[in-house]
Amino acid sequence: MEKVIIIRYSEIHLKGKNRGFFERAFAVNIEKSLKGYRHELTRQSGRYLIENFDGEQSEEIIGKLKKVFGIHSMSVALKTKADMGEIFEACKGVCAACGSFKVVTHRANKRFPLNSMQISAEIGGKLLSIYKNLKVDVHEPEFTISIDIRENGTALIFNEFFKGAGGMPVGTSGKGLLLLSGGIDSPVAGHMIAKRGMKVNCLHFHSYPYTNLQARDKVIELAKVFSDYNCGTTLYIVSVTEIQEEIHKKCNGDYMVTLLRRFMMRIAEAVAKKTGEQCIITGESLGQVASQTIEGMTSSNSVISELPVLRPLCGFDKDEIIDRSRDIGTYGISIQPYEDCCTVFLPKHPVIKPNMSDILNEEGKLNLEELVKNALSTLEKIEL
Amino acid sequence: MIYLDNAATTKPDGECLKLAEKYYLSDYFNPSALYKGGYDVQKDLREARKNIVSVVADVQNFDLVFTSCGTEADNLAVFGGGKRGNIVTTSGEHSAVFSTVNELKQRGLEVRFAEINTDGSVNVNSLLSLVDEKTSLVSVIHVSNETGAVNDIIKISNLVKKKNLRTLFHSDGVQSFGKIPVKLSSDIDMYSISAHKIGGIKGCGALIKKKNLILKPLIYGGGQEQGLRSGTENVFAVKNFEYAANKIKYGIKSNYEKAGRLNSLLWQSLDKSLFARISPESGSPYILTVSAKGLRGETILHEADDCGLIIGTGSACSSNDKKRFSRIILACGISEEFADGVLRLSLSYNTTEQEIIEAAEILNRIVAARKEKMA
Repeated sequence: MEKVIIIRYSEIHLKGKNRGFFERAFAVNIEKSLKGYRHELTRQSGRYLIENFDGEQSEEIIGKLKKVFGIHSMSVALKTKADMGEIFEACKGVCAACGSFKVVTHRANKRFPLNSMQISAEIGGKLLSIYKNLKVDVHEPEFTISIDIRENGTALIFNEFFKGAGGMPVGTSGKGLLLLSGGIDSPVAGHMIAKRGMKVNCLHFHSYPYTNLQARDKVIELAKVFSDYNCGTTLYIVSVTEIQEEIHKKCNGDYMVTLLRRFMMRIAEAVAKKTGEQCIITGESLGQVASQTIEGMTSSNSVISELPVLRPLCGFDKDEIIDRSRDIGTYGISIQPYEDCCTVFLPKHPVIKPNMSDILNEEGKLNLEELVKNALSTLEKIEL
Repeated sequence: MIYLDNAATTKPDGECLKLAEKYYLSDYFNPSALYKGGYDVQKDLREARKNIVSVVADVQNFDLVFTSCGTEADNLAVFGGGKRGNIVTTSGEHSAVFSTVNELKQRGLEVRFAEINTDGSVNVNSLLSLVDEKTSLVSVIHVSNETGAVNDIIKISNLVKKKNLRTLFHSDGVQSFGKIPVKLSSDIDMYSISAHKIGGIKGCGALIKKKNLILKPLIYGGGQEQGLRSGTENVFAVKNFEYAANKIKYGIKSNYEKAGRLNSLLWQSLDKSLFARISPESGSPYILTVSAKGLRGETILHEADDCGLIIGTGSACSSNDKKRFSRIILACGISEEFADGVLRLSLSYNTTEQEIIEAAEILNRIVAARKEKMA
């Protein structure tokens, strides 16, 4: 009898002729997440099995797998020969001594001498005979023992389901560049897009010495948490100090945020084109702050020449975003009090509905090309 | 590197570390143990107590309770002394006192805050007007950690006792111990000190107190420190503190005069068109607080750091306006424009003239350049 982990995948089973592509990416991502853990990953029909791992590490392994997109659910199971005696011994191992239960059997091997109902009844009856405080409740049991008779002459016995992260395997839906600010929203936006199978890299803008090194480290911490879901990520860091100083010096201060966001988009597109990302992802939510109006989004979109801008949080309330950030483990880092933008540059009355002619008029006071070029020359790359 | 953030912490003195090392390597016994080794350590602790107290007070009338830091000493004084009626303190207190009295306020005690002057010193008339027959504790910081203003605690404690003899008087002496020449009078009941501000290591402080004063402890257990601070004493840190105190004990006055000269030189060397003075002329010579008006203190701190100069600041680049400014600087009545650019330059007795000249040059250069960029 051996401990194994059953991994069931989510949407991949809906795929047709290209299913192999998704399954291969799925397996690669599982292997990446379990790097450093002794294990063997095998594919069985419609599921994967992890075998030959240290049984003491099963909780840690489940924890790692919970961050792999494409997994529907997981169970830690006992693997036995498809033999009623051995199956019963395994069931005893996962059965509590009291409470209500039921036994559910799936029989992939249709040549097994007993059918599913007969197996469940026989095992259930035997368990009742040894545990006197146990009773059967097929409608609302306190726990369920599952028996899975496989085609290869083995059986899997388990009593728990762990919910997986769902979605599609990262890497099967192209590559995107997330503008990672250090706040609550952007890691959630990146997580949502990675969940749909996109490999997401991150771009952070800093304005040292107006911001501090703690703010930078906070973003690296956020990217590390995100990286676990994303099978690794590349964090690009660019300084916008000179751009902010120039806007502050030469332009109407109320346009600081509008103009800065347009610069960020220009820089993001240049980075994405160079590194192969196919879209830009932001954590903007419609109407959340002054710059996240439809006019603000139109203004920042208009400097992007080719790539689409994905804003997965557009229709979310702040509370919903906070809940998600708690779920993925970024909230505690995001609320650390290190800002990514110095208040010295923040206008008291930012333009909420910027119009294009005013924007262009303000930008006319700046050497756009040179400022973007200088910012790009500060680009740092951190592999996480 | 030029280090001018000595009010935050000082560089541990190598000689004192070496002297105390035997309490890790060979004399590691528990001072409460009954065998000879333990008893010897207990005697060494007793010696440390006397030597540290003698820096600022008469050992016949004062003793001390070792704590983990100055903040704990302040907590012991405030929670231990502020038991009933009202507590009077100042708006210029370090958070170790300010937050602690606010906690007592939450628990139902009345807390009264005296106004402070523009230099950060307490307005004595304001303070005295708040003291009445129900005042159980008055706490006044000796040297403001933000502006360096010195409160005359000898005079203030005497005036407080004249209004109410039963009132306990506490002073946070963390920035003054071993730096400002003073001898505690019998009107002062408690005085908090910290090792790492005078060349000792972090993790060791003490509350100097009058011998007959009865306090309520914060920590219960084996009854060490006269039952006021249970827990095995950190002998290494305590002895290290003692050696650091011994080292400066007889040089307080000369160091004070030297720091005064360097403080004047620093202020003279700073470009007055770039910096405004916040510290009073009569303040602690170890602290010079200035404002690079119109700039953000933290920005200058980072740039100075990049140039090899370590300084302190009074504001952060947080977007939270309420928390951005120093509570104390604002309480001095200084405008937000000045409060934003506050820089604290703090000296030690090891600071040299050359360091002061170079530091001023760096500050003049980076502030001028930054002002040009932000113009």
